[in-house]
Amino acid sequence: MKRKCQDYESRLPDNTAVKQQQLPAFRLQLTASEILSGFFAIGLFCLGMGIILLLSAKSIKEVEINYTEKCATCAKLREEATNFDKECNCSISFYLPQKMEGNVYLYYKLYGFYQNLYRYILSRSNIQLVGADVKDVRNCAPFRTSDNGLPIAPCGAIANSMFNDTIVLWYNFNSSTHIRVPMVRTETAWWTDKYVKFQNPAFQNLSSAFAGTAKPPNWPKPVYELDEKDPGNNGFINDDFIVWMRTAAFPNFKKLYRRLHRIGNFTEGLPAGSYSFIINYNFPVSRFQGQKAVVLSTLTWSGGSSLFLALAYLVTGAVTLLASFSMMALHLKLKERKTFFLQ
Amino acid sequence: MVLLFSTDPDGICHIETSGLDGESNLKQKQVVRRYAEQDSEVDPEKFSSRIECESPNNDLNRFRGFLEHSNKERVGLSKENLLLRGCTIRNTEAVMGIVVYAGHETKAMLNNSGPRYKRSKLERRANTDVLWCVLLLVVMCLTGALGHGIWLSRYENIPFFNIPEPDGHSLSPVLAGFYMFWTMIILLQVLIPISLYVSIEIVKLGQIYFIQSDVDFYNEKMGSTVQCRALNITEDLGQIQYLFSDKTGTLTENKMVFRRCSVAGFDYCHEENAKRLESYQEAASEDEDSADTPSGSLSNMVKPRALSCRTVHSRPLGSISSNHLTGSCFALESREGASEVPHSRQAAFSSPIETDVVPDTRLLDKFSQITPLLFTPTDETIPDPPLETLYIIDFFIALAICNTVVVSAPNQPRQKVGLSSLRGIPIKSLEEIKNLFQRLSVRRSSSPSLASGKEPSGVPNAFVSRLSLFNRMKPASPVEEEISQTSESLQGSDDSACPTEIEKQNSDAGIANGKVEALPGQPLTSSLCYEAESPDEAALVYAARAYQCTLQSRTPEQVVVDFAALGPLTFQLLHILPFDSVRKRMSVVVRHPLSNQVVVYTKGADSAIMELLSVASPDGPGLEKQQMMIREKTQKHLDDYAKRGLRTLCIAKRVMSDTEYAEWLRNHFLAETSIDNREELLLESAMRLENKLTLLGATGIEDRLQEGVPEAIEALHKAGIKIWMLTGDKQETAVNIAYACKLLEPNDKLFVLNTESKNACEMLMDTILKELQKNPASPEQASLSASLHQPPPTLQGSGLRAALIITGKTLEFALQESLQKQFLELTARCQAVVCCRATPLQKSEVVKLVRSHLRVMTLAIGDGANDVSMIQVADIGIGISGQEGMQAVMASDFAVSQFRHLSKLLLVHGHWCYTRLSNMILYFFYKNVAYVNLLFWYQFFCGFSGTSMTDYWVLIFFNLLFTSAPPVIYGVLEKDVSAETLMQLPELYRSGQRSEAYLPLTFWITLLDAFYQSLVCFFVPYYTYQGSDIDIFTFGNPLNTAALFVILLHLVIESKSLTWIHMLVIAGSILCYFCFALAFGAMCVTCNPPSNPYWIMQEHMADPVFYLVCVLTTCVALLPRFIYRVLQGSLFPSPILRAKHLDRLPAEERIEALKKWRGTGQMDQLTSKYADHSAVESERIPIYDPSAVFAVMSATACAVEKGNLPVCETALDSDFSETKASGMAGPSKD
Repeated sequence: MKRKCQDYESRLPDNTAVKQQQLPAFRLQLTASEILSGFFAIGLFCLGMGIILLLSAKSIKEVEINYTEKCATCAKLREEATNFDKECNCSISFYLPQKMEGNVYLYYKLYGFYQNLYRYILSRSNIQLVGADVKDVRNCAPFRTSDNGLPIAPCGAIANSMFNDTIVLWYNFNSSTHIRVPMVRTETAWWTDKYVKFQNPAFQNLSSAFAGTAKPPNWPKPVYELDEKDPGNNGFINDDFIVWMRTAAFPNFKKLYRRLHRIGNFTEGLPAGSYSFIINYNFPVSRFQGQKAVVLSTLTWSGGSSLFLALAYLVTGAVTLLASFSMMALHLKLKERKTFFLQ
Repeated sequence: MVLLFSTDPDGICHIETSGLDGESNLKQKQVVRRYAEQDSEVDPEKFSSRIECESPNNDLNRFRGFLEHSNKERVGLSKENLLLRGCTIRNTEAVMGIVVYAGHETKAMLNNSGPRYKRSKLERRANTDVLWCVLLLVVMCLTGALGHGIWLSRYENIPFFNIPEPDGHSLSPVLAGFYMFWTMIILLQVLIPISLYVSIEIVKLGQIYFIQSDVDFYNEKMGSTVQCRALNITEDLGQIQYLFSDKTGTLTENKMVFRRCSVAGFDYCHEENAKRLESYQEAASEDEDSADTPSGSLSNMVKPRALSCRTVHSRPLGSISSNHLTGSCFALESREGASEVPHSRQAAFSSPIETDVVPDTRLLDKFSQITPLLFTPTDETIPDPPLETLYIIDFFIALAICNTVVVSAPNQPRQKVGLSSLRGIPIKSLEEIKNLFQRLSVRRSSSPSLASGKEPSGVPNAFVSRLSLFNRMKPASPVEEEISQTSESLQGSDDSACPTEIEKQNSDAGIANGKVEALPGQPLTSSLCYEAESPDEAALVYAARAYQCTLQSRTPEQVVVDFAALGPLTFQLLHILPFDSVRKRMSVVVRHPLSNQVVVYTKGADSAIMELLSVASPDGPGLEKQQMMIREKTQKHLDDYAKRGLRTLCIAKRVMSDTEYAEWLRNHFLAETSIDNREELLLESAMRLENKLTLLGATGIEDRLQEGVPEAIEALHKAGIKIWMLTGDKQETAVNIAYACKLLEPNDKLFVLNTESKNACEMLMDTILKELQKNPASPEQASLSASLHQPPPTLQGSGLRAALIITGKTLEFALQESLQKQFLELTARCQAVVCCRATPLQKSEVVKLVRSHLRVMTLAIGDGANDVSMIQVADIGIGISGQEGMQAVMASDFAVSQFRHLSKLLLVHGHWCYTRLSNMILYFFYKNVAYVNLLFWYQFFCGFSGTSMTDYWVLIFFNLLFTSAPPVIYGVLEKDVSAETLMQLPELYRSGQRSEAYLPLTFWITLLDAFYQSLVCFFVPYYTYQGSDIDIFTFGNPLNTAALFVILLHLVIESKSLTWIHMLVIAGSILCYFCFALAFGAMCVTCNPPSNPYWIMQEHMADPVFYLVCVLTTCVALLPRFIYRVLQGSLFPSPILRAKHLDRLPAEERIEALKKWRGTGQMDQLTSKYADHSAVESERIPIYDPSAVFAVMSATACAVEKGNLPVCETALDSDFSETKASGMAGPSKD
């Protein structure tokens, strides 16, 4: 049969469903009830999700303190680049009305700092940071080499502009007793960043590993002195450094600074009471009309404190339900005329 | 190359020009005169003549020049002497010639102007929108540049932000803004859908693949299916508004069947023949069920053989000998099994239906009176035989010889009687020639019946072949008696129907046996094939053969006709004046072997012949009266034939005295040898010959309508396509065919535009226009006011349909610039226009006019060389791969084998292609804008610095991999309405004509939707992650993922049908995206700075917020469109949507719903009919009858039309008193 076809009717197209465009089509033409029930389902899902998100967002406790104004004197000092070696401390006290349960995270937050500029984010060397070649500074313009020609480690604009305030939280147990709240400075970065993307050069001695390199111009001390107490947090694998190097998406952003070490008074979290931040003010923001803040926050499964997602779900759910009700009304009305098609 | 020598003793060279014009028949070329007589080969070195010819041009059918010998004698050169580059020499051993055009100057090269690049309307539309996209891109980039400049001026001196150049300088904001412009162009260039063009091409290829593999286009008879020769205009098929159709071979089968004839004023109906045709049809349909069923039809026994030959025919025949041919036929047939392909029994041409003619009994009776005795007395003193019998003889001789049919005997090598030029005897007096001929004819007629059973090819015996003839071309040149006989092997046959001949003849003979004495020894001679340039000629020759008047052989010098009662007659062929469209007739000048007179047989269109008939018969008043009577009767018969849709031809003859002939010949020779205005002189010369004719009779040849043509035309009409029929046929035939194929409805109002002057034409058009304007609901207005909510046919709903008949002469006036507008306005108000007597040039001019002035999509369909220009001019040219060569197909964009396929091609595939492609293009715009805008919105948050929050590879692959296949599949496979419904409701085609799927508004709505979706897609994640510690590329990931889902699900909402292929591709795209993101995220530790997607996807996959964001974004982005679609479906469904709804009903309900749909259409029609009640009072329509009333009135009389005249026939300026009636004829039956 097949051979005959070839011999004789070689030009007769095959009569297959594909070639004749007779493939069974899935009925995307849904019936009215299917569409309406779909709409109701979407609406209810969104509403429910919105409520859940809303509840979880409400459960988050967050304290944000903007210290740009409060440390105006320090800010003024930092506006002059020549004062870079002058220390300036600033104390901000606040009252926590409710205790913050569970893990508490300390963030610093910058306003108006564009960490997402194209040429800014380009200015880094991943090869250097992964520890493969400390002297690879190709992409780091304009912070490739120091004035004396040594390659900068870590090179580039991102590293150079690293946030260098130190923030210490004190718990004012009573007017005389001030307890320094124990904070962990590690595990603030992504695990993969810390253990894969950022590696120190393989040397016994960290300082010799960075021999022949210069510190970034804005840094007060070289990279191997970032955390001299903890070799697992020093050099390129310093968590603060890694967190900074993950450039923020928006000009207003916060970055994780410390985690609450839940010991002693703080096993439950942060108790209510009076606290104060002692901030060693180094990072200049007033030059670019930026602002700095510290944020204390708890976390839930749904992330941070943003209410937006919850509200968006609620609104979407409401709108969908509204649409489905009106469509149902329409459907019932049109059904009498028997001319109802959907899709 | 000018032909100087051919091994053929006649100086003839046979060529095949399939490489040039696609015609595969043999053509003859002639050696330059004088060289023909030379025996020896031309020695190139001794060639001393000078050739002067016209400058190179591209006209294949024209060549002028002369050859000047050393003795200053000039010989004219014509196209007969020119061998063109690209043709193949056949049946000729060798030729020699001198090259006149070479290289790029050859006619073949000059004709090869390269294909005209047709760009579809949709693509032109899309191109403008691409320009809009470019504009949008520029605006976006300017925004970016400006924004960056302004932003930077705020932070100019902050090294954090204005990162200095490597040399330490920082950029000024203006310069940075300028640079940013170009950065943004690079970043956002995806907005210009370059991939769109690639995708369009792929989609078109897919569409063409599906068109070509549609089984409905398969023609069993010819084993051919639709050919798409143009790859880039499939979607135009869905937007056709005007259709221009040829008649012959397009609407009709172009299988000429001899139906009736009228000889000497007597009509011979050939009723048996008619019956046979009917039974043939039945037999054919019966055979579809079972091939073995004998159906009692005469031709049936022949058919299986015809079938088998047909199958082989499609192979290159080349030099396969016919025996071999037959052998393979049988082999094939036995292998195929009988019931395999029942349809193929109808051969493409020279099928039994054409070649079999059952003689009319009455005519046969008269034939029996013919005896050789009528002519036996060799002198001129024969008693007058009954005039009618003579007429009959002459009539059939004319049928047999007045043509250019090539005879070939398939079963053995053709014996060719070559009579080379005669030299030596200077013929000074015609008397001598006459003597010579008398001598010959005496010997001829006294010779016994020549054919013997052992000489199967019917070649005249040696005696006959040794006839001496003088060279027909050169009465003045020396003539020498020289006889040569050459056998030439004509291998194989080009006509595969030949093997059937024996049997056919047998069956014929069987029928005829009882009535006439079948000639013994003859049957074998009839195994002849006739190859004719036009099927008409073949039909006539076959008809003549049915009356035992068989054309036996034809050489340039003589024609042998085997006349039943008279034996083989050898006509000396003196001259052939070939057919041309100006004269509309052809003539042969022969010397009659019996009466030995020079006789001119003329065959041509009735109008052409009737004018040339001799007013005064030389033989006396009695005869004159008889002539008049015959003429009147024949005219009546002709009108009758035309009314039945038959093609009519008149046969006339003229007996010339030798002196007359000699004089004419001298003039003609002058004309032939002249170089300047040769054509005009030749025409004049022909006119001189073709007058004072005596009418012999007329023939009616039926050109049967193709299967399914009326249905197709009706469907196309309903689809809102205006159909024009452009034909070269006469008005009556054309109008009748138009009625037969439902181009004209019985209750149409006909306006006939037939004027002899421009002014009259203008006046008449004015009158008709006024007339039409009076009618309030003219079709055009109705169709314009048709809204979406009225899917029922609006055109039928309007009271009256008007149709315009225009003749070629008038068309010429109408096409003049001053009248163009009026003409177009007029035609716009007519549903159907029939242009008769139109020349090929006029055809193309009409198409060009309509196309350029009305700005509509036009389609031209035709099958012959005369339609080529029209096919090339139209937006879409469709060729019918029929019998008239392949030129039309060569020039066309699509080639179908039958007209009826057009309805599916347009209504189904055209609609699909158009909707698919337009939706795909819109989707592409949407996709690009939606995605690129995400990047653009981000610029507002990164100081317009050109950062992309997406990894570059993802950015590239997003367009290239993840979202490219689904739109292509959508463009190829989308099926909004099923094929059945589209065929059943041709009205749905109108949406394509109005470009509903892709209006400018649709484009902007699409863009708006894209903007909305991109906003949602960007700002939902933005607000979600606002103020958080998210980094750039982690932010980009949910954006990409959501955009992917939005874009793919958008397609799902838009597509009307989802097959497993769609599902597979969409699922594949999503899978591909995730796989890529995961793999890339796992492997890329340091690569691809600055973006580093390392582990981002993995991180997100474990984050519930990621999913929540994606779900919310997708929902919010798609809700508006989905709600819109749902509301559109329920509140204001387009006809397409309603039809789609029909598709999913169960079969029974569907039929009901279809009826209802059509019912509403008819209701509308009824109501509107009542509305203009006055216009349509009479529904009874008289059959169009041109001869019914010929009232002579002035043009303005048309305005005096009384109330309700359904037929308004107007013609103007009667120049010829009898037939060219003018004025307006009322209805004959009202």
